[in-house]
Amino acid sequence: MATSTQSQPPALTFPRPIFAAVSPHPFLQAHLSADKRTPQRANGRTAHNSRRPGVNTGSLTHANGSAVVRLGNTSVVCGVRAEILREEDISGSSDFAVPTTPSDTDDQDGSKEIDVLRLVVPNVELSTGSTPSHIPGNAPSTYQQSLITRIRSLLLSTNLLRAKDLRILYTPTTNPDDPDEEPETQIKGYWVLYVDVFFISVDGSAFDAAWIGILAALRDTKLPRAWYDEEFEGILCSDDPAEATTLQLRGLPVPATFAVFEGQAEDGIEGDKDWILSDPDAFEEGVCRESVCVVVDGKKSVRRIEKSGGGVVGRDGMRELVRRAGERWSEVEQVLGGKA
Amino acid sequence: MAVPEVTLTHLNRADGSATYTHNGYSIIGAVNGPIEVSRRDEMPEEATLEVNVRPAVGVGSPKERHLESLLHNTLRSIILTRMMPRTLVQITLQVRSLPEEDEATGVNSTLTILPHLLHTSLLALLSASIPLLTTLTSLLIAVPTSSAPIISPTSTELLRAGPLQAVHVFAFAGDRRLLLNESDGAFSYDEWEEACEMAEEVCCSGGEGGVKLEGEGMDVDAQDGNLEEWLRGVVRRKVDWEQRWKKGT
Repeated sequence: MATSTQSQPPALTFPRPIFAAVSPHPFLQAHLSADKRTPQRANGRTAHNSRRPGVNTGSLTHANGSAVVRLGNTSVVCGVRAEILREEDISGSSDFAVPTTPSDTDDQDGSKEIDVLRLVVPNVELSTGSTPSHIPGNAPSTYQQSLITRIRSLLLSTNLLRAKDLRILYTPTTNPDDPDEEPETQIKGYWVLYVDVFFISVDGSAFDAAWIGILAALRDTKLPRAWYDEEFEGILCSDDPAEATTLQLRGLPVPATFAVFEGQAEDGIEGDKDWILSDPDAFEEGVCRESVCVVVDGKKSVRRIEKSGGGVVGRDGMRELVRRAGERWSEVEQVLGGKA
Repeated sequence: MAVPEVTLTHLNRADGSATYTHNGYSIIGAVNGPIEVSRRDEMPEEATLEVNVRPAVGVGSPKERHLESLLHNTLRSIILTRMMPRTLVQITLQVRSLPEEDEATGVNSTLTILPHLLHTSLLALLSASIPLLTTLTSLLIAVPTSSAPIISPTSTELLRAGPLQAVHVFAFAGDRRLLLNESDGAFSYDEWEEACEMAEEVCCSGGEGGVKLEGEGMDVDAQDGNLEEWLRGVVRRKVDWEQRWKKGT
């Protein structure tokens, strides 16, 4: 053996993890181009295969609603804590009157109310060691801040929460101005939802995991009955769990993240080929530059598209991705539906 | 559609700079590069890109960080970073003024400012002569619930349009590839595609991405509001100015 290889240079072979660490791009490309018909990724999934989320709700005792979500090795804890914002503590709450018709028509106004008064406060925290790029003890990184911005704007733009659920109303027994007339209902306060997302580990598709966690936690959230007590002149909450109400969410927007892997032509033998990977893990996210996130509610209705980093996915590519996001929606709906 | 106003290379301490004014948005962009990179950010095979967005009022918030990461991803795909390994290209964008009604429109302000930031950074990069793979043009489209889509709306138009069904931002490369898309609202794929086609029409010129022949006339005004024509006009004026001595003889 030793004599035979003497004449020619020894074959250059690495164990798998070293190949992945030394040259990640060719590593993934070698995996994907090995099988022409069903390209397989380094993590054993096919390009279209996404990880099935595991959801466990109500695991935190002191939160109003909570969920633990696992998406492969990405695991996230999401807790919703409701606190009361008193009317007198808000500047300019008189802008928002109690809607006269108790219907669903307060779509636009309700969303504005939640936005302006900041009735929902999302926050993202990465735990120490959750991802190698996160250095603990520093100010929140760009990545974290970007995640928070995306979560907050999606919460507002999908009108997920109803302002009606968060208002604490009070109708006096008699009208102080004119005892003969019907008393007017007033807003005495609001529930503010602090939505905290804590990443135990990040292995790609952090936004998807965070959002599924938030959805599950909000569906699990129970607000105690709160009322304004005339004699006490303050807001009181009921201790009885039977009186607590759950939040009525609007729709079920589900995100699907895709990463575009651009193959590099080797010696001109193989033409440039691109693969679009569903639900990328951290390794794939590190190699891919272009990413697309499609949020759908149901099979047809798109709520948000975010795409940046490259020009591979065009109009036709997007049609395919919207379809794939629709499939993802059914999968997530099934997982969440079983818990609700 | 009004065409943006541009002043190039007006800051004499930066390698490249541009001031961009459009629809009440005014942004100053400055580019330094390629310069020395700190050891931590150094990449052995390509240039590091740093984008700083400073708001008109106050210090940066998570919103600015999100804008920065969008700009970073997009610009990284058009700058030939592999030509300048182990260097830094630093882009600073200072928002100078916003339209007065910007807050009142109720549209996500990340989306309304994004096309302007993209244009400013591209112009500043051109001014600094950073090698680029292609150019980029970007556009905002608002789709009101009850009327036709508005291309590149001003804030007053947004206010008057009433409730919006969807808001889209598209950015196209010079070769008509879709570089960036941020869409928000509720829409179907077909509606999105329609908006995308509309944006492509305005962003990319009619030619097949090559140099358009336009006779010998020197005065090029982007009369139809085509953004690529506008960009070509800006670059032509820059080159003319730089070669004025050569031409004068």
